[in-house]
This record gives sequence, C-alpha cells and structure tokens, in this order.
Amino acid sequence: MTGHRDAGSPEDRYRHGLDTFARAWAKALHRAHYVPISAAERYRIVRSLAERLVGGLFAEPPDPTAGIGVGKDLVAAGFASPDALGRTIAILNTRLAADLGLPADAAMPIRLTALLEGLAAGFTAAVHDRSLDAQDAVRLAALAAQTRAEQALRANEARFRHLATHDAWTDLPNRTLFVERLDRVLATGPPSRRVGMCCINLDEFATVNDILGHDVGDRLLAATADRLRALAEPAGHLVARFDSDQFAILIEGTTCAEDAVKVADQALNALAEPFHIDNTEIPVTASAGVAERSVGSGDTAELIRATQIALHWAKADGKARWALFAHERSAADAERYRLSAAMPAALRHGEFALAYQPLVDLRDGHIAGVEALARWHHPRLGVLGAGQFIELAEHTGLIVPLGHRLLEQACQQASTWQQDGYGLYVNVNIAVRQLHQTGLVASVAQILDRTGLAPYRLQLEVTEHAVIELTDPIRATLAALVELGVRIVIDDFGTGYANLANLRTLPLRGLKLDGSFTRPAPRIGKPPPPAVRQPDDTAFLATVVALGHTLGLTVTAEGIETASQARRMRAAGCDTGQGWYFGRPASPGEITRRVADERR
Amino acid sequence: MERPDWAPEGIDLSKASVARAYDYWLGGSHNFAIDREFARQAIAAVPDLRLVARANREFLHRAVRFMIDMGIRQFLDIGSGIPTVGNVHEIAQKVVPDARVVYVDIDSVAVAHSQQILSGNKFATAIQEDLRRPEVILDHPATRALLDLDQPTGLLLASVVHAIPDEDDPYGILNRLRAALCPGSYLAISHVTTDSRPEELGEGARLSGRTTTPVTARTRAQVERFFDGLELIEPGVVWSPLWRPDSPEDVGDHPERMSFYVGVGRTV
Repeated sequence: MTGHRDAGSPEDRYRHGLDTFARAWAKALHRAHYVPISAAERYRIVRSLAERLVGGLFAEPPDPTAGIGVGKDLVAAGFASPDALGRTIAILNTRLAADLGLPADAAMPIRLTALLEGLAAGFTAAVHDRSLDAQDAVRLAALAAQTRAEQALRANEARFRHLATHDAWTDLPNRTLFVERLDRVLATGPPSRRVGMCCINLDEFATVNDILGHDVGDRLLAATADRLRALAEPAGHLVARFDSDQFAILIEGTTCAEDAVKVADQALNALAEPFHIDNTEIPVTASAGVAERSVGSGDTAELIRATQIALHWAKADGKARWALFAHERSAADAERYRLSAAMPAALRHGEFALAYQPLVDLRDGHIAGVEALARWHHPRLGVLGAGQFIELAEHTGLIVPLGHRLLEQACQQASTWQQDGYGLYVNVNIAVRQLHQTGLVASVAQILDRTGLAPYRLQLEVTEHAVIELTDPIRATLAALVELGVRIVIDDFGTGYANLANLRTLPLRGLKLDGSFTRPAPRIGKPPPPAVRQPDDTAFLATVVALGHTLGLTVTAEGIETASQARRMRAAGCDTGQGWYFGRPASPGEITRRVADERR
Repeated sequence: MERPDWAPEGIDLSKASVARAYDYWLGGSHNFAIDREFARQAIAAVPDLRLVARANREFLHRAVRFMIDMGIRQFLDIGSGIPTVGNVHEIAQKVVPDARVVYVDIDSVAVAHSQQILSGNKFATAIQEDLRRPEVILDHPATRALLDLDQPTGLLLASVVHAIPDEDDPYGILNRLRAALCPGSYLAISHVTTDSRPEELGEGARLSGRTTTPVTARTRAQVERFFDGLELIEPGVVWSPLWRPDSPEDVGDHPERMSFYVGVGRTV
C-alpha cells in the first residue's frame, strides 16, 4: 500500500498552526471562565475544540453542525461568559486563517462565517439552557430553604409551646395547659354535661425534702407523676402538675360526683404503695380534694378553687384521704373566716359582753355563784354564743386580749355583787392559750386588786384538755393562781381522759362534770345481746362523783334541764348544779333580782 | 429540657444576598431579580467587578490545590456561597477521592442548593451557620461526622471575613476557629480592601449595606493581623492574582485593581 502524508486530514496538515492558534485562544479566554481552571487545562480544552473547528472548516459537504457543537461544548466546559463568546469570535476571525496559513481561497471566508454562525447559535442555546436549569435549581433551593425554615419554625413553636405548657421536671402538662383544657371543656360542652376534677397533694413532702434531701424529693415527685400518669392517661384523664407536690386530674364526662371520687380514690391508693428511691423505701400518703359539677354551673377558676378548698378539708380532717367539695361546708368555712376576721374590730368596738348563768347549791337550791359566758353582740348577726366564736379566737390568738377583757368585766360585776352583800362567786373560762401567757398571773392579780373582788370568789374554769398534758409552766401558773387565792376548777370533766394523778397533785377546787353525765346518750341501734353487760349509768356517775369527793373536790353537774335530772344528780352526790332548769344565762340585773328574791 | 436558644430566621427573598450576587458576577444564573439589581449597581460602581470576583475565585482554587499538595485531606469552607462547577470538593476529590469538605454559609438558599448538589456525596456536606458562632460550627454534628480536627485541616475563609464588622470582633472569632485546628493546618483568607481603589470600592461597600451581609473593607495591615501567630506562606498577604499564579500571564497588568488581599498561613 502506498500513500502520501500530504493526503492526511486537515488536522494533521495544520497541526503546528493549530497549536499556535489554541495557545492564543486559551490566553484570550483567561478569566472568561465561569469557574477557574488551570492554564494547562484551559489549553487542553481549546486545543481539542480548535481541531474540531478546523475539521468543520474543511468538511465536504460543509457541516454546519460542527460550529454548533463547538459553541455548546465551550459552554459545557465552563467558558460561558459573554466575554468567552466575544473573544472566541474575534480570535477566530483574526487569527485562525493566519495561524493555519490557509490559502487565500474566496470560499474560505464564507465557510468561516458559517462556522461562526453555528458556534454563536450553539453557544447561546447552551447558555440559555444552562441559565434556565440554574434558575430551576436556585428556585428549588429557595423553596427547600423556605420549607426548612418553616418546619424549623413550627418545630420551634411546638417546642416553645410544649415548654410553656409542660412541667420541665416530670414532663406532665402544667397548670397552663390544664386550665386551657378545662376552659375548653367548660366553654364547649352542653350545660348539662358534667366534669370532675381532683387536686392531689403529698402529705409529708416537705419532710421528705428536709430529711432525705431535695434530690430524693425531686425523684419522688417524678415517680409520683409516673404513677398518676399510668393511672389516669389510659382512662383519658388529663394529669397535670400544678406546682411543687400538687397534681391535678381532670375527669371529663362524669355522671355524678362518685365518678370523680373514684378517680381520686384510685390515685390515693396508687400513691399509698411505698416508693423505692435509692434502695430506700419511702412510704407516702396523699390527700385529694374533689369537685364535680355540670359544665354550666361556674367557671374554671371556681372549679379549681373548689378542689383546693376540698383538699384543704382533706388535710384538716387528718390527711391520707379525699374530701368532696360541698357548698354548705364551704359557706360555713367562709362564715367562720369572716367572723374571725371581724373579731379584732369587734373587740375594739366593745361588741363582746358577758351573760351569767346561775350555779345552784343542790342541797338547798340557792344561787351560790354564776358562770360568766361570753356573748358577741354582732351588728349583723345578732347575739352570738361563745360556741360560735371562742374557738376561732383561740385559733387566731385573739383569745388572749378578749379573755383578759372578759375576766375584768366578770370580776367587776362580781365585785359589785360583793359590795351589795350578795357574796356570789363567779366562774370564768380560761383558754389553754391564756394559760401559756406568762403574764396571766400578774394580770389576774391586777384585776382583783383593781376591782376589789375577794380572790376566793373568782373560780377559773380550765378544760380537762388543758391538763391532759400538763407542762411545768402551766403547773406553775396554776399554782401561782391558787397562791393568789383564786380557785381552779376542771371544766367538761369526763370528756378528755384526764390524768388521774394530775387531779391529785394539782391544787384544784372542783370538777364540773360534762353534760353527758347528766343526759346519758340514748342507746343507738338494736339492743345488745343479753350476754353483753350494760354499764350502769347511775353507778358510773356515783363512782365519778365519789372520785371527786375522795380527791377533796367539789362536784358540779352541768346541763341540767329537768327536775328529774336535778334529782338524779343530787342523789348522785353532786354539790352544785347548772343548766336551764336552774336558769339560762342572763343579764347581771336579772341575776341580782333573783338573788335578791331568794334572800328576801 | 433546655429552652431552645435559637429560633430559625425565615428566609427573606426581598433582600439581596451577596452569595447570589457573587454567583451573578461569576456569570452564574443561580440568583433572583433582587440579587441581580444589587449586582448590577455594584458593577456600575466597580465596572470590572466580574473580574474581581473571578480573580478571588481563582485564588481560592489555587489555595485549595496548594493545601492538597501540602497533604491536607479535609476542608472547612466557611462562606462557601452558591456552589458552582469546580467547587472545593470537586478540586479536592479529583485528587483525593475521599477528601472531606464541610461547606458553611449563612445564606439558607445557598445551603439548600449546596445540599442538592451534594446529595449522594458522602464526603461533603453543607450546613447553615454564622461565622460569628465558631463553636457551633465546630461542634455541629455534620462537622463532627466528616472532619477529624486532630488531623490537619484546610480552613477556607474566602470573601467572608469582611462580612464581620469590627464590633463583632473578627480577630477573636478567627482566634477561636484557629484554636480548634491542630498544628500543620492551613488557613486561607481573601478580604476586600479599598486600599487601591478607595472611591469605587468604597461605593461598592456602601451598596452592600442593603444586602443581608454588609461589607467592612480592611487595610493590608489589618488583613495581615488575621495571620498573627501563623507561619505565613510565601508570598504573604498580596493582591489576589499575585498569590502563586499558575503562569505569569495570569497575573494581568494591574493586580491591585482586583482589590482583594489574600494569604495563606500554616498553624504551628
């Protein structure tokens, strides 16, 4: 086979010129690249494109697609800037023919123009496609970014919402969420629909914290939350932690209070199982307040308050139990609170006064003395008996100034009777709290001094409860009072399991038997079987009176309302009697009249 | 449970993004009308801004190739912007197929686009974060997953430090980032300056005030301070075309017109 190198392709023939041209082209395209590439890489790319251009230039028949392909590939290689096209056209026009040493052929410029036409068209078409693709991509990216931002925002909102509506330690819903749910239940249900709620509180949580530490306390709370959650959530009840050791359960769709009580009962039972924390068994009790009612009968705050009040009752009634809210008890509580709040002003305004009830000598029926009984002349409620406010006064501590005031009044009155020659003694009640006051003996002495009452005419009545746990200071106070010449009697004897030894050692004057001795309680229910021995009331009474006399004490019978009761108590050996049969509490004037009548 | 300290910002497409404007200057189409409006105004102030952007881009590529030659196999590219063909991971992974790259940008669109491009590339990822929170970037799960900071790292801060105003303590931020790198790591910075063309670049910087990341231009001395305590690689902090050009002809007649100071330092 023979052949000539001359007959080779145009690429071969113009190899040297192509190298020169490609170097010039590559230099022209510096920084016309969309992204940087090395100079060598740039040369490699345009050298190959130049070869294809020359191939297209000499193709027979002329191939218009050669220019289009080169234009597209320029863009594909990254030479996509306007500069890249402009400089490419310029360099092809000015350098290609010269670098390749092309003959001055009339057809050549026409062929070159066709090639450039294709190159420009291919380039712009590719740039157009590329721009459209890029725009799609950036819009998709923006959409993705927007979606992600919104998701993140929603997730964040959900997280904030969870934080705002849940307790961080137990992850239980908090009071906010509970109130929201209850609001919704109360706002949306038909008015006849019912709802229940219980409020649960650990009884000795502060003690656990103090003794075992806050760490154990915190874990106890978490364990409590778990038990309540396990109990209530399967049943569809909302459990929330209100604060510290207080939890609440919402019971929707109850039919009656019993439904809510049942849940409270279950909750207390669940908490009654001992907890085990750090291998330590922690026995716990809890109390619950329960309220249940129809949706239409009040708002969220009222329902929550009702359970809190009921919880307070459960605690006051001895803890480890539930209490169901009742309006009557709540109203009574409120009335007690109002009375107790009004008492200091009432004391300032002189609304407290004394009534006197006769104490009658059972041997001959004459009035030997009186018991001074406190009365509150309430501007709105009328006259209130001691039973309605003395306990409140003891609770608030107002009993101390009030007791002092009443003692003074009583002594003043007894002194008047003493001056009039009636010689009545006066019994005045002293509260336990007053006995604890260090100044009691001194103020009694002052009052006696000021009023001029003979000390033996003052008898202070101390309840049996006061001497159950007799402390040394109280013993000393009683002894000092007796030293003054004042007499001490035990009130309500027989109700408080008084220590018999105390009765013997205390400098007492007498006993006042509780009213129950006078009016034995009627037997309730079926009569007992004959084998069970009935205590004999009369014999029992006689024994108690004998006990008093053995100790050298006078014995007073209280609550005598009928002649037969009076006979019975006299027969039992009581020295003195008191009760409606002998006279109701009366004004001093009335007492004076009666005594005056007796003496006439 | 902790309170979240970060609320994601909604993306604001009514404000120009420098990341997308930069893409436009480079000749890209990953941008929106608002970005192009800003980009064209900047070109009106700095007519050869496209070249400035390209020269800066070229420096980044040379710096990456340099670091690969120095044995770096993992890169943290903060302020990576809109990814284009020939990005850091392409350059690096062409030489070392499992070279690791973490891209970080404040622009959520740029990050989303990067993530689209990088889906399927298990050695490169993109996260949205702010250079001003270096610890968050360094402790990010994606960073932790891809980069082993006990190995030398290439830290790339191309055209991003000038987005930190002085009151945000850019030197302190750089120190915190550098402290996380082990000895033998490299840091590349390119930074806008008004030293050579105060009026034109000053106007460009002023215009950037309407974007999401305004620019603070700095002097050569100020840029050099970012490399304090590092071994500064030759030729030091120079105009962008002058940093180890591939060939003398790539430098051009007026390298100072490229208005970026660049440099690479090595941790010791």
